Amino acid sequence: MAETKSMFREVLPKQGQLYVEDITTMVLCKPKLLPLKSLTLEKLEKMQQAAQDTIHQQEMTEKEQKITH
Amino acid sequence: MEPLLLAWSYFRRRRFQLCADLCTQMLEKSPCDQEPDPALPVSQAAWILKARALTEMVYVDEIDVDEEGIAEMILDENAIAQVPRPGTSLKLPGTNQTGGPSPAVRPVTQAGRPITGFLRPSTQSGRPGTIEQAIKTPRTAYTARPIASSSGRFVRLGTASMLTSPDGPFINLSRLNLAKYAQKPKLAKALFEYIFHHENDVKTALDLAALSTEHSQYKDWWWKVQIGKCYYRLGLYREAEKQFKSALKQQEMVDTFLYLAKVYISLDQPLTALNLFKQGLDKFPGEVTLLCGIARIYEEMNNISSATEYYKEVLKQDNTHVEAIACIGSNHFYTDQPEVALRFYRRLLQMGVYNCQLFNNLGLCCFYAQQYDMTLTSFERALSLAENEEEVADVWYNLGHVAVGTGDTNLAHQCFRLALVSNNQHAEAYNNLAVLEMRRGHVEQAKALLQTASSLAPHMYEPHFNFATISDKIGDLQRSYAAAKKSEAAFPDHVDTQHLIKQLEQHFAML
Repeated sequence: MAETKSMFREVLPKQGQLYVEDITTMVLCKPKLLPLKSLTLEKLEKMQQAAQDTIHQQEMTEKEQKITH
Repeated sequence: MEPLLLAWSYFRRRRFQLCADLCTQMLEKSPCDQEPDPALPVSQAAWILKARALTEMVYVDEIDVDEEGIAEMILDENAIAQVPRPGTSLKLPGTNQTGGPSPAVRPVTQAGRPITGFLRPSTQSGRPGTIEQAIKTPRTAYTARPIASSSGRFVRLGTASMLTSPDGPFINLSRLNLAKYAQKPKLAKALFEYIFHHENDVKTALDLAALSTEHSQYKDWWWKVQIGKCYYRLGLYREAEKQFKSALKQQEMVDTFLYLAKVYISLDQPLTALNLFKQGLDKFPGEVTLLCGIARIYEEMNNISSATEYYKEVLKQDNTHVEAIACIGSNHFYTDQPEVALRFYRRLLQMGVYNCQLFNNLGLCCFYAQQYDMTLTSFERALSLAENEEEVADVWYNLGHVAVGTGDTNLAHQCFRLALVSNNQHAEAYNNLAVLEMRRGHVEQAKALLQTASSLAPHMYEPHFNFATISDKIGDLQRSYAAAKKSEAAFPDHVDTQHLIKQLEQHFAML
């Protein structure tokens, strides 16, 4: 066993030149942590949504009334 | 039960609609609807209570509300210096001495700022440099500015609140005799808040406040602060500053410091605001809102390290401060410490924050901290909690990164596609999809995707740089050079872009 192990030796070239080629790679956009929302912002958005819903509902009822008339 | 007591109890339990309804019934019984009769104290009490309940329903903390519309931003003549020195303005985010996080690591917003860990009404806007940029800003939740001027949202909320009461508004403002109410300070304060918050009629509110402060012989600091608030809403920043300063002389209050700082921020004088906050801290040592204000200014000036220091100071005083935890967490994530960030986000989870954003962040932190077992479940939870399409898109986009990280390009491809299905304005997803297409050897598709990405988000350097690289490879040097120049404008310190430009310039010189 000891003999077979010694058969494998790392190869480290001590002579010659080393070439490094800098290849430009494409970049990915980075992962995005999502910012948490403040309470004020959440409340504002909720209020705006509620307001839009009421306006929408009123419009719908008005349309329905027009159709029935 | 005595109806007034019941109504009062509803009010204290924050059942405002029930409280208002009960008060309406009481007011219908007694004849004085528009004006409370001084002889009938019960109806007067009901009147005030209803006004307060209606106010509370739409009440938003005025300190936090600071939205700039497109009009305010572009036609902004209030900034003292139009071409400010570096480090003294909020308008030039890139120019600070300490060097903010590089866009190669931390994504930037439309305004060129690194993305923050926390969204407030004012962080949404950012200041775009040009009118073109302002109009182009996509209408998503993160950069949203769906309003033409800052009063837009308030007016709309005002009209909406009127719609909900079928027999017209509770108080007919045009019929009010303001001078009479100014004589009664207790009534006047409730009425003012009603007019200011519920009706959003700043001019009438200002009239009432002016009369009341006269009646109190300019000795009540509260009225001065209210006048300042009205001036601020009307855009008269210098007048607002005078009122707040005068109020501070009479009575030092944390709120007043915060309002005054808001004025200075609107005037684009962050250093003055910082000084003011520090003065405030001398008077109120360890006050969380003041500390947080300092941190926000540093963050907006791109001085993330100082901001983090102050956020940590905030946490020493109040260890459940969501904004501070989120900002420190995101800062750790983008400085290559996802394990630490994970601890901060886990803390938020323990505190009961339970939404799409938090689970998305947890998922990302888990993945980059090599806690693979939790990653996918977190993202699943985030997807199920998402409230709108933009959030879904962002979660899929981040999942795409996980797929790229595991080497499963097919899954990544699908994830980015799904992100685009939910939000076809998602520039980052277009860019990443282009990179994947390029790996498969589809040059034309990749080019088309990159062009879409760069037109959607000209502030990002990645699409420009990628386009330059591809064009360079296929020999279209002129286009490559143009794109590289754009990339350099978006991110001047990007080494690869500089290399590419140098190479191209050499090519051109040889011709």
